[in-house]
Amino acid sequence: MTTTAQLTQLRTPVKPFYFNTSAHLLRITTHKANTLAEFLDALRVCPDDSIFQHTFRTLQDHHFIREGFSNDFAHWALTACNEPGLAEQLASVDVREFTSLGELRERFVQIVENHLQLNPADGSRTAEETFYFCAADIVMLPTKFVAETMQDFAKGMREVSVHSIHHHFIEARLRLKLMSNDFSQWLHEDVGLTDAARALNRIDIYTATLEDVRKQIVRVVERALM
Amino acid sequence: MKLVKPQTATTEHAAPALFAQPQPVHPERRKTPRTWETPPAPVPAPHVDDYQTIVGAAVIDELRFLARELHGKTVRMVNSTAVGGGVAEMLNRLVPLLGELEVMTHWDVMTGGNDFFEVTKAFHNALHGAEYELTRSAQEIFLAYNEQNRQRMQFLEDMVVIHDPQPAALIAARKDSPARWVWRCHIDLSSPNPQVWGFLRPFIEQYDAAIFSSQSFARQLPIPQYLFYPCIDPLSEKNKELDESFVQKVCDEFGIDRSRPVVTQVSRFDRLKDPVGVVLAFKLARKYVDCQLVLAGGGASDDPEGALVLKEVKEAAGDDPDIIILDLPPWCAREINALQRASTIVVQKSIKEGFGLTVTEALWKGKPTIAGAVGGIPNQIIHKLTGMLVHSVEGCAYQIRYLLTHPEFAAQLGRNGREHVKENFLMTANVRRWLLLLRVLLRGRDV
Repeated sequence: MTTTAQLTQLRTPVKPFYFNTSAHLLRITTHKANTLAEFLDALRVCPDDSIFQHTFRTLQDHHFIREGFSNDFAHWALTACNEPGLAEQLASVDVREFTSLGELRERFVQIVENHLQLNPADGSRTAEETFYFCAADIVMLPTKFVAETMQDFAKGMREVSVHSIHHHFIEARLRLKLMSNDFSQWLHEDVGLTDAARALNRIDIYTATLEDVRKQIVRVVERALM
Repeated sequence: MKLVKPQTATTEHAAPALFAQPQPVHPERRKTPRTWETPPAPVPAPHVDDYQTIVGAAVIDELRFLARELHGKTVRMVNSTAVGGGVAEMLNRLVPLLGELEVMTHWDVMTGGNDFFEVTKAFHNALHGAEYELTRSAQEIFLAYNEQNRQRMQFLEDMVVIHDPQPAALIAARKDSPARWVWRCHIDLSSPNPQVWGFLRPFIEQYDAAIFSSQSFARQLPIPQYLFYPCIDPLSEKNKELDESFVQKVCDEFGIDRSRPVVTQVSRFDRLKDPVGVVLAFKLARKYVDCQLVLAGGGASDDPEGALVLKEVKEAAGDDPDIIILDLPPWCAREINALQRASTIVVQKSIKEGFGLTVTEALWKGKPTIAGAVGGIPNQIIHKLTGMLVHSVEGCAYQIRYLLTHPEFAAQLGRNGREHVKENFLMTANVRRWLLLLRVLLRGRDV
């Protein structure tokens, strides 16, 4: 059984948590698609940072939308190609199940390939709008928030930008190569709050805005402090 | 004070159409709108911290962190006009904000004779797709004035940004300059006249990067191409918060009854904005829902085609007292702001569009917005999430009816739209992009 003294010790971080953030500069690549067949071709060869832009990054760009938006590929399949079935499959891809962009790309390629095998005529039908593959140049930045204590951490969580939350909570798995995030890793490894770390990993980013995610994280942290 | 001619009809209601819900109209409510005859004095440019209450401290901190490693770096912007037009308006705000962040930015305006600006106006139209025969003489005029300006200017900064085609040939100065060179294209290059683009392209290819306002405007070029959305300034007269009393006063002067829904389109009287289509959509919608239409714009007094379009709009409106047509001078930014804020729904039923900053303005004011799916509008309106995209008069009419009868859904669109603008289309996002670009282009130097 854990004593109060042990709990207090557990809640004193071994290392501080440095809140960082990342800023993205949107680049237009030379890849574009007017049909699903062209889309599949481009999906296979576009740079990794295009896959990142249209999945991880677009969640940040549209962080205020609670429902109906998951990634740009699904959105295009629905609104420009009028393919709700394909759109649902593309939308069901949860970026948090992937720790590499190569695997994520493969999943999308597989879905589109399957759709075109079953519906070959869809491949050549012209979409209402062109899909332009974009990418992002990323600059990582510090913030003024450093958490030496759990109280600092809770304060930082309340005050950092949603970009910082996206950076640590969603993009992090590509850096960590783990099905986790920077907050959970720190809570688990440096604070010893494994249950709280697990609770954060259960937060659904697709049915919540990033502000909702922030509130849920703060609630988990506050509960751990009680 | 100038009295703007009352544009609204004053006759009684026409016989109601089937299913129409005629509403009483107060004969007194049509007053003569008044606007200032001359532009008001310019307001001082805001400071970086002035934006904090709007975007939050964390976003301002990010700008400062981004700028920190750029302190002492210098930028030169060159365009072709100091006043009027969106580019000058944007630079007027951007340049002091970058300076305040210690990225000293110098803004130069290109000089040229009438012959130069005639050529570049023709280039501008041709790059938008108009037919044009590029002559040797036009090329010589373009190159001569660019060379004259090259000799007049120095390019010793870390980054030189050339705006639009007029000064594009200044790239000839690159060989004597330590700068990274960027071409910022504000116009739609999606289907340019091949002769003019063929002439300009070799200049553009010598730049380190190009910037476009929409993915669809970009060309196949061997240099990196970046996407910078145009932006609005939330502290400008057009977009700042207004006292409710001022909004009410404007509505009173223009004869708008705020106890009933107001549908508004703000844009020049230009066929590409389809004001006649808006009138038709309004008339279709009003068979089912009570509302008024405000068409507020300008361009009819200084543009013969604008006057013609205004006449067509008036004909389409007929003697309907619920259609209020306002031909306003360009300096009525606060009045436009008030009209947008007084609206229940904003429409921008364009047939062709650049980016559509009037859509951005409406979204920023939290207004449920219906717009044509053209140009840069789909970047702003994600259908059913941040607004409604339409492709026809009938579609527009249906969405007016739907939003007026589903106010909770409409309010959610408005909230999402405002957040979308806050994240992507405000001046602060623009400053962030310029700082990022400078950092990305100077990578490998000392940044």
